Amino acid sequence: MNRETLNFCDQLNINVVEVAHGIAQDASKYLEYAIDSVVARVAPDGFINSQLLETNQHAVHSLAWIATYVEVLLRTSDWADCLDRENRLGDLDQSMLVVIFGEYLQQLKNGIPMNQVETARPVDLGLESRVAECLSSNDIAQLENISANPDFRLAAVQQLSEREFESPIMGDETLDLVREQFRRFADEKITPHAQTWHDKNDLVPLDLIQELGEMGVFGLTLPEEWGGSSLGKLTMCVVSEELSRGYIGVGSLGTRSEIAGELIASSGTHDQKNQFLPGIASGEILPTVAFTEPDFGSDLAHLKTRAELVTRSSGDSVWRIFGAKTWITHAVRADLMTLLVRTEPEERGYKGLSILLAEKLRGNEKHLFPSEGMSGSEIEVLGYRGMREYEIGFNGFEVPAGNLLGDAPGQGFKQMAQAMESGRIQTAARSVGVARNALELGLRYAIDRRQFGKSILNFPRVYGKLLLMAAETIAAREVTYFSAREKDSGRRCDLEAGMAKLLAARVAWSNADAAMQIHGGNGFALEYSISRVLCDARVLSIFEGASEIQATVIARNLVNSRL
Amino acid sequence: MQKIMVALKRVLDYNVRVRIKSDGTGVTTDGAKMSINPFDEIALEEALRIKEREKGVEVLVISIGDLVCQQQLRTGLAMGADRAVLVQTDQILEPLTVAKVLKVLVDQESPELVMLGKQAIDGDNNQTGQMLAALWGRPQATFASELLIKGEQALVTREVDAGLETIEVDLPAVVTTDLRLNEPRYVRLPEIMKAKKKPLDIISLDELGVEAISQFQVVLTESPPERQKGVIVKDIGELLGLLRKKGLV
Ligand SMILES: Cc1cc2nc3c(=O)[nH]c(=O)nc-3n(C[C@H](O)[C@H](O)[C@H](O)COP(=O)(O)OP(=O)(O)OC[C@H]3O[C@@H](n4cnc5c(N)ncnc54)[C@H](O)[C@@H]3O)c2cc1C
Repeated sequence: MNRETLNFCDQLNINVVEVAHGIAQDASKYLEYAIDSVVARVAPDGFINSQLLETNQHAVHSLAWIATYVEVLLRTSDWADCLDRENRLGDLDQSMLVVIFGEYLQQLKNGIPMNQVETARPVDLGLESRVAECLSSNDIAQLENISANPDFRLAAVQQLSEREFESPIMGDETLDLVREQFRRFADEKITPHAQTWHDKNDLVPLDLIQELGEMGVFGLTLPEEWGGSSLGKLTMCVVSEELSRGYIGVGSLGTRSEIAGELIASSGTHDQKNQFLPGIASGEILPTVAFTEPDFGSDLAHLKTRAELVTRSSGDSVWRIFGAKTWITHAVRADLMTLLVRTEPEERGYKGLSILLAEKLRGNEKHLFPSEGMSGSEIEVLGYRGMREYEIGFNGFEVPAGNLLGDAPGQGFKQMAQAMESGRIQTAARSVGVARNALELGLRYAIDRRQFGKSILNFPRVYGKLLLMAAETIAAREVTYFSAREKDSGRRCDLEAGMAKLLAARVAWSNADAAMQIHGGNGFALEYSISRVLCDARVLSIFEGASEIQATVIARNLVNSRL
Repeated sequence: MQKIMVALKRVLDYNVRVRIKSDGTGVTTDGAKMSINPFDEIALEEALRIKEREKGVEVLVISIGDLVCQQQLRTGLAMGADRAVLVQTDQILEPLTVAKVLKVLVDQESPELVMLGKQAIDGDNNQTGQMLAALWGRPQATFASELLIKGEQALVTREVDAGLETIEVDLPAVVTTDLRLNEPRYVRLPEIMKAKKKPLDIISLDELGVEAISQFQVVLTESPPERQKGVIVKDIGELLGLLRKKGLV
């Protein structure tokens, strides 16, 4: 361990890493009780009763948040343990562990803010007595006391202001090299332009997209035989995080390739892989995801856009599309839509859905959607610009019959589920990038801004924000990386990916909001980057599964593990 | 031109805020980010550009240090070098020993060009390239800001106090690089994967038959004094008065 600066835990002679490990185990027990409580409420007969699931939604979602917090305790104690074993655990790392444990344990006991207006409390699950049993040990009290100690906090923020601007090191040669390259790329080619792109609602320049393609961003996780790099989801997280730290509009380019690539690589026919994957990997084919409809967002299973198989006079068969999609990101520039449509009209639920690999012509400012049978318009938005969002109408737009994903009608929803798991991990990583951007902007401003004769960083209410922002950024990152590692080792990880996305999106938003507060009036000026980051951060808990939907998925998963 | 040898030193990343050990024996590197010395990275970039212009050139990267230096060599391979050699030692070597090691490798490898940074950003010695040229008995061109290979010669523009000076040296030669020579490329993800399969040989310092000699000793490492707060003066008169009081004019 590094003992160069004031180290509280050493002075008190406690091994934080060990203590944290023990506490995380106790908290896991608390989670088991929480699951019991929800099982009793929503599955009294041994299966989930949808009506009860909905009536008890607050309790059910409280469970999702408790599980997410316990996951944070487990993952951050593992993280510190790993640093310690490799002799890399620094003072700042230890302080961050203390802050996250101190704060999250208090919240577990007294109420977790699911957002600013809804709190998940022990009473919601009837867990008051379990708090005393699992969350009231001496070790917990000791960490909470250190975390609340003003001298500790002052020392911690000192370490933070010295080290925060450095890249996190993972101790893996490849990952550290990848991070370094993309951090430099973002610092040199993205950050200096992000504010202008946002202000002018510019599309990310095509030559930048080409350069990212050459660097291998779009084929990152695709197999080498299809022009990819066969790198894992963890590498994808590092790249997405660093690019999003520069600008979410750039960090999100890869989301579409990741989803389309995963859909085709895992469900496509050999011909479909051959036709699309190399182009997606190189960035020549820009894909977009077309799922959402004006009347069906969270409730995708009931969507109505339909595809009819018809034989043209020339003899070949095509799908003709009728209906509407909305919120389709980067749609004008996209060459390929992964289009979720109803091909089996007699099936009204998810069983009637299929995915079409629908090629379209690129549009321009004058002709947004030049393809036959397709029209649409831009949706003006607060943030998350750079690719732009569109509403699209289909009136007889044609897709060759052979472009039905995997040649498998009615499998669309299933095929989508796996790709969305990757999409959620990627979105969690983007959120971590945005959270870091906000943290760095807030910290920099707090150091530079002087009031009452000193840097405002010296005021406890200013550095108190920054300490938790930094600690939660690590928490979100470690939960995200864990879900990526699970996926890389071939396990399903919808639970972990869901928790990562849920938490990281909240952290990105709270970091941006707190960083804006630290900026005072200047934060509200369009000229300051934090005003953009705030708008960008807000969308993360809305798309790729709104937080409320995410919480249901997590809780369902936990309850099902018991049935 | 058939072979270029580039030396890469592992140093504390230039972005890291350097922290002095409390006992003054040096700086802490525990857990801190380490990188290729930026001047060496520029040397490698230039070597790779030559390789891309003239077909059939092999670029060999060398590092000297403990096993962790493989990380910087892998980075070099991912940038585009063909082969790497690590001379393994736990000792901190002084420039003369480093130059001797490079000389042994030069004898083994017979490159037409050896490129390295004008200095490393940790020790700021600015000696190794010059010493190597002397040991090797070949020309040196230091502080290069432009490099052109013309058959058996290299045309090198150097950044010197008076401005830019262009000299012609016969190959084989040693070239040390300055900051403005080029901007190193970004490493591409597919290249990172390819680099894992490129050869990286490890030889110990003893095997090379070079003995590490110590000619100086670090007595104390300390932070530079904190910058004093400035004062704003009304006019030249007041400025001169203050300077006089401090005995500076
Ligand atoms: C900037 C941006 C880009 C997007 N890009 C794309 C894209 O490229 N492709 C694409 O297909 N889609 C895209 N979307 C759409 C996005 O996925 C949807 O907005 C999201 O799925 C939510 O659907 P909705 O907007 O219809 O909200 P609704 O489903 O109408 O939800 C409204 C609110 O009600 C809550 N709610 C709904 N149902 C329940 C329930 N059962 N229990 C509790 N709460 C509930 C939601 O959580 C939410 O808070 C994008 C959206 C945005 C904002």
